[in-house]
Amino acid sequence: MTNRLLCAVALLAVAAGDVCAAGEVPSFRHEVMPVLSRAGCSLGTCHGNQNGKGGLRLSLRGQDPDLDYTTLTRTLGARRVNVQQPEDSLLLRKPLMQVPHEGGRRFGADSFEYRLLRDWIAAGMPRDGGVAGGSGQVRLKRLLVEPGLVTLAGDQRTQQLTATAEFSDGTRRVVNDLAVFESSHPGVLVSAAGVVDFGEVLGVRQTTVTVRYLDQQQVSRVEYLRGVSDFHFESPVAVNAIDEAVFGQLRRLQLNPAGLCSDEVFVRRLYLDLTGLLPTREQAEAFLKSPAVDRRARLIDRLLESEEFVDFQTLRWADLLRVEDKTLDAKGVSVFHQWIRSSVRADRPLNEFAGALTGARGSTYTEPAANFYRALRTPEERSESAAQVFLGVRLQCARCHNHPFDRWTQDDYYGWTNFFARVDYKILENRRRDINDKHEFDGEQVVYMKARGDVKNPRTGERAELRFLGVADQQLSAAAGRDGADRLQVLSEWLSSERNDRFVATQANRIWQQLMGQGVVDPIDDFRGTNPPSNPALLEVLVREFRAGGMRVRPLMRLILNSAVWQQSAESAAGVELSDADAAPLFVRSVPRRLTAEQLLDGIGLVLGAAPRFGGQPAGVRAVQLAGVRGGGHRYSRPESGDRFLSLFGKPGRIQTCECERLGETTLAQTMEMVSGVVVSDLLGRAENRISESLRAGEPVELFVEDLWWRALSRPPVAAEVQAMVRHVAEQADHRRGLEDVVWAVLNSNEFLLRQ
Amino acid sequence: MGGMLSGVGRFQRRDLLRAYGPGLLGLTLPRWLRAEEQSALSLRARAKSVIFLFQWGGPSHVDTFDMKLQAPTGYRSLFSPIASSVPGLPVCEHLPETAKVLHHFAQIRTVHHTMNNHNSAGYTALTGYEPPIDDQRLRESLDLFPGYGSVVAATQPGTGDLPQAVSFPYQIADGSTTPGQRASFLGKQHDPLFFQDDPNDPAFRLSQLTLPQGVSLDRLGSRRGLQQLINSQSRQLDRSAVAEGLDAYYLRSLELLNSDRVRQAFDLSSEPGALREAYGRTTYGQSCLLARRLVEHGVKFVTVYFAPSIGGRSKTDGGWDTHGFDNTRMYEILPEWHLPVTDRTLPTLIRDLNERGLLEETLVVWMGEFGRTPKINDSISRDHWPKCYTVLLAGGGVRGGAVYGASDRHGAVPDRDPVTVGDLAATMYYTLGIDHTREVHDNLNRPLPLARGRAVAEIFG
Repeated sequence: MTNRLLCAVALLAVAAGDVCAAGEVPSFRHEVMPVLSRAGCSLGTCHGNQNGKGGLRLSLRGQDPDLDYTTLTRTLGARRVNVQQPEDSLLLRKPLMQVPHEGGRRFGADSFEYRLLRDWIAAGMPRDGGVAGGSGQVRLKRLLVEPGLVTLAGDQRTQQLTATAEFSDGTRRVVNDLAVFESSHPGVLVSAAGVVDFGEVLGVRQTTVTVRYLDQQQVSRVEYLRGVSDFHFESPVAVNAIDEAVFGQLRRLQLNPAGLCSDEVFVRRLYLDLTGLLPTREQAEAFLKSPAVDRRARLIDRLLESEEFVDFQTLRWADLLRVEDKTLDAKGVSVFHQWIRSSVRADRPLNEFAGALTGARGSTYTEPAANFYRALRTPEERSESAAQVFLGVRLQCARCHNHPFDRWTQDDYYGWTNFFARVDYKILENRRRDINDKHEFDGEQVVYMKARGDVKNPRTGERAELRFLGVADQQLSAAAGRDGADRLQVLSEWLSSERNDRFVATQANRIWQQLMGQGVVDPIDDFRGTNPPSNPALLEVLVREFRAGGMRVRPLMRLILNSAVWQQSAESAAGVELSDADAAPLFVRSVPRRLTAEQLLDGIGLVLGAAPRFGGQPAGVRAVQLAGVRGGGHRYSRPESGDRFLSLFGKPGRIQTCECERLGETTLAQTMEMVSGVVVSDLLGRAENRISESLRAGEPVELFVEDLWWRALSRPPVAAEVQAMVRHVAEQADHRRGLEDVVWAVLNSNEFLLRQ
Repeated sequence: MGGMLSGVGRFQRRDLLRAYGPGLLGLTLPRWLRAEEQSALSLRARAKSVIFLFQWGGPSHVDTFDMKLQAPTGYRSLFSPIASSVPGLPVCEHLPETAKVLHHFAQIRTVHHTMNNHNSAGYTALTGYEPPIDDQRLRESLDLFPGYGSVVAATQPGTGDLPQAVSFPYQIADGSTTPGQRASFLGKQHDPLFFQDDPNDPAFRLSQLTLPQGVSLDRLGSRRGLQQLINSQSRQLDRSAVAEGLDAYYLRSLELLNSDRVRQAFDLSSEPGALREAYGRTTYGQSCLLARRLVEHGVKFVTVYFAPSIGGRSKTDGGWDTHGFDNTRMYEILPEWHLPVTDRTLPTLIRDLNERGLLEETLVVWMGEFGRTPKINDSISRDHWPKCYTVLLAGGGVRGGAVYGASDRHGAVPDRDPVTVGDLAATMYYTLGIDHTREVHDNLNRPLPLARGRAVAEIFG
């Protein structure tokens, strides 16, 4: 009801309102610029493009009004505007398509946009009183969007949003007619007047509407559910605050969560998520046969304390911290990897861990954490990587212009980067093999801080003012700018402070994503206003619990693993039909995902009882234990089959600090490797493997099959499977081949390849 | 459950091929392509395929095709010119066979960019985009643009067995692997089919297409049957999107392995010995022969790399980078290795395509990452020169004998009609009927056109 009223009021306001208050001339900054944004003129795909379009270049999304003013009123011999006959201005004729315009028709002759631009031109194109940026100029203080969160149900499929601008002189104005509305979900439309429309949606749908006006953005979360009146919420028992947060949202959305997974699924899933390894038959059977009522909690505790857990967690950090042989050399890889490993084993609080890395200096051989900087050799690489891995911010766009869909400006970028400007290296030795390769380092280096040095802010041409990322009060950063201050020390302290909310949220979200496959904010290194958490209450719980656990990893993991949400089955509750893509952010059921490269290769090795080959490693080393990317041997030599397999299946090369570097998608080349490739067939055919053992012992095929199922799938085979396998083997002339076929089939089955 | 199992047992090859035709191959159309139909790409395709012969190291333009006979000593090539089949267009004396077929080629003499280092220039020449830094340290990253083959594979998904883009027989590098050889942010599924097996090896076969020893196609079929049986045990998993995706890939890979056509395409042993000799018994020579076979079988973009390294210091292998380092001399090396190999292979390829009626529908591009300095250096050799160099094009409706653009009297800068690498990229896409102004979104969601430039339509007949 209230929505309809709001709707009506807003419509009235827009329809009745003239372009501006009677007699006043349109404001260039506050009205003309937004209209250009709104009509799409200054988008990156159009005139906001680096090269402009059709000879007209505007600043991207209106970030530079002064430049745009000059461009529109002066350049091209001022032919774009015609003060005597405004309707003849190119600025008006193009968007109306009265002359050829590749951008198409942007608005009509009777539209608000047209009248505003025409009035402005007719008034002589005033510039808003005096020098740009001068004192006394009215600025936008705040943009508000109401409602911030709304749930629609049943027949109510539309919602009017209201955008209000508060200016520095105290005035307020509804800016629906000047703001740009964008909906994140492609199936949900939002009109130019700010009406969200779900259309003919069936079932639950959520969208985040971004509202932009001048240089500010706000979001509104709008969701729709069918709204069954006799809906009965059913869920497993909520074990902890995580369950409460997730179930609370699902109850509101009228979606029943999936039930708990079976013990068989649980044991395989837990081992994979915590250790990256499949459980052995003995381990799986021990768990399944245990009479203890709290057997799940006990197994969680045991695995969290295991060495294999340490291996697997270290692997994740090694990816992000670029532990890679070419730049760090073999010794650096080894000491850095060891250092990370001992931090993981001790469950060192992550803020201390981050502080140690960002404040590190010294010889990369004796001060392992200094390898963090050895890998990141320019101020920009350091600042972008630190922002991404520690603060969950992708700053890259802001290097060249103000970030198009986030709050970061170039000043923020260069101010943050300047913290890292003074890191330098004394290269004591470089025995690299390829003198042309400037990325290759083989020898000891010392990371130290220069006494002087700054990055320049290209916008001002001056030394960049130091800025902490996202902090309003810049006093601390100003202190770091004083002569004699060790700015890296200041940075490190700020980053590792317990009050650094951004850091805490990023790490908590990352731990969640590691176990659940999807972050509450996703992608996990892309926190921004226009990418809000799918469940804000859940994120708050994770942050709170992470802090309560002293910012250590194990306590938070323990909480997550014991929750009913993590233990959900992949089977939806009755009546819930959501695709994987829609189900994942709601945590309504488990979403199957493919094993990672290391999990897959180690898994194949464990099933066959034969170890894959890795370059420069002793036999028997597991893929999860590999310290670097390609150990041993010169880069120009062909990689060992195991290394090649891992790289094919997405193991990152560690030249980027991005979770996205590990490619999770399946490709044809990977499938061909599994179907006919060297690695699998080599392991199948080894003289010493599980198959050979079985043949030597004269084991009946039924027992072989049963053992194989337990190793690979952590369950016994059903009768039909046993029959089919036994029959197949019996029909082969070569007994061994039959067994190889059976193993091949299991290794290529969905159940093996996916973590359920 | 019982009903499902009764058919289990041997799966014949024909079962694998049944009903899994072209529809399967649109598996992973990028989002932005799904929404609009192919009709949007309404340009008339002049050619069906491109053979891109990449001359890694940078061949000297003033010593090969743009000889400056009036240039003073110290600039002028130390090679002599000879007449070619195009009156008034001389070529280097060490390319006599190429001279005889020059009437098939159009030359663009004013290609230019601003990258001086191999990796940055190589990336530029392989994608049509200049990288943010002109640095030898440039490495593959998702920020960089995909190579031409991947763009073609993504915009023109195939309807046949073979992949749309194939690159071989080397992965080029200069220190780090040169970016621009793969699909980057378009996704691994659009990587070209890449292999390093040597086509000149008498036992050449594609390792990906080779079944493991003792595994016949029939045996593969029964393996597949067992796999499907296991999959059917978990119906709910079977229905999940990721499992469906996996299964689609299994079908596709089995299709490829079973396809006689695919196997034939890579089977060089069926080529007559005399023809193999004519191409030259070198890796490059046999690679070009393979390239012809692949376009015959419908591959859209074939990239052949001349050498794995920038080379220039050896008379027996390596690329075109003849600086005169390590006391070597360019004018002694080129006539021993690079020029003879080229002179043997390139004319044979053109003639072969022509005789088979393939030249009209195949665009052949001969190009390096830059040319070489107009002024001879102290080692009586030449260094890098991206400011103006020559690219050869043939086939695909190109006007043979045409010369587009003119360099100045030293071959140093474009005098008339400069052509950027973006223009060149646009020209290749234009030939294939791809609208190069169409935009893709990179991994930071920035909109980028497929090529920044204008197609050089003037070289077409």
